[in-house]
Amino acid sequence: MKSKVIVITSGKGGVGKTTTTANLGTALAMLNQRVVMIDTDIGLRNLDVVLGLENRIVFDIVDVVNGNCKLNQALIRDKRFEGLHLLPAAQTKDKTAVTPHQMKNLTNELRKDFDVILVDCPAGIEQGFRNAVAGADQAIVVATPEISSVRDADRIIGLLEASGLKNSNLIINRLRSKMVKRGDMMDIDDILDILSISLIGVVPEDESIVVSTNRGEPAVLENASRAGGAYRRISRRLMGEELPIMAMEEENTGIVDRFRKMLKLAR
Amino acid sequence: MAIATTNKSEIYLNIGTLPSFAELEDELMYQLSNLSSYPPGTLVRIDIGEQRLTSKQVREVEDMLLDHGFYLQDLMSNGPPESEGDKEADEHPFDHMPYYNDTVMICRHLRSGQKLFSEGNVVILGDVNPGAEVIAGGNILVMGSLRGLVHAGAFGDETAVVSAYRMNPTQLRIANHITRPPDGENVDVSIPEVARIRTDKVVIEKLKL
Repeated sequence: MKSKVIVITSGKGGVGKTTTTANLGTALAMLNQRVVMIDTDIGLRNLDVVLGLENRIVFDIVDVVNGNCKLNQALIRDKRFEGLHLLPAAQTKDKTAVTPHQMKNLTNELRKDFDVILVDCPAGIEQGFRNAVAGADQAIVVATPEISSVRDADRIIGLLEASGLKNSNLIINRLRSKMVKRGDMMDIDDILDILSISLIGVVPEDESIVVSTNRGEPAVLENASRAGGAYRRISRRLMGEELPIMAMEEENTGIVDRFRKMLKLAR
Repeated sequence: MAIATTNKSEIYLNIGTLPSFAELEDELMYQLSNLSSYPPGTLVRIDIGEQRLTSKQVREVEDMLLDHGFYLQDLMSNGPPESEGDKEADEHPFDHMPYYNDTVMICRHLRSGQKLFSEGNVVILGDVNPGAEVIAGGNILVMGSLRGLVHAGAFGDETAVVSAYRMNPTQLRIANHITRPPDGENVDVSIPEVARIRTDKVVIEKLKL
């Protein structure tokens, strides 16, 4: 099978690019794919922390492109899954330490050994973004249901199209279905109307993400996590499975609602 | 009674007064089928006697001629002059639209941060999203949702128009007039509209075709 290079991007910061990369990477590894995640946020590296692999870093992406080490010396194998690897960013340099051309060579090198290469893109539209996009053959755009995030996502989709990436998919992250029902939050149709690209998944707002991020354990490993479940479904869609998108999944109900439900059942 | 007289590169058709436009069309169709030996590009002059045609009907006649490769040179009529009422009914939103030689056609969405400039007209088969800008010396036509900023008649042409399938711009400029949607009002219109300057004000009205 031909390997895929997927860049995960958003334009705006803090919408969940790194969380999405960590969870999709882990979920794809659970589906027995050979996966490598590349952190291109040089100077502000996070992906290793979210995956709980920070203490294993010896070499990083800048060492690889400068020839200070071999590629497989810098790759960190995940502690949970055999097929999951991380190429960490450098923390002491900045985005200009790598060029788009070097990134392209790097991803082509990785294609030989891996099925899926996930590139975690930094926020912004400057060189970090150009680096991340350079070797990719498809993109996942992450947006939250806020007007500023959607605006930035729109800008990013335009830039992706300009650099030849026409098949972008959208993940709507941190959706609160209760707020949407009240009309206080943009709903999925509003967002798709503006962005007009294909939707690959909706991830609900979930407190368990904060907990799992702090622990360095991706949420997909927890069966009970709703966000984790959403990421598992997205990973299966990435592998070509056709799953319906559960737009308005039941928000975890409080005790009053549960009581009401019981009454309804009794009737 | 129709007579077709010709010289080398021009055909003269006297169709005469017929009671309806449909009959005129039939007659014209019949006449044209007899003239198929003439080379494409031949000019045609038509005399329609006492009848009067609306500008839409004239366009239809032109189209019929074009189907045979002919061009309408002249349409002669000695009917009564049009009354004011007829004129009003026949007015078309694009009748006073200025003519520009070059037109740019874009077949994709214009997204935030993308900017398009043309000295003539701009036609967009797609949306113009918030944060995108379209600036044209002439007219702007958006065959999609217009949510960004547009500027028609950018060199000062006050007769330029902006039309959109869904008109919902962040800001709309025509020549040196700058307008924006009123604050706090969220009008959801689901029909095509056209914006132009009327009596020194930008107005948006339903697009009737």
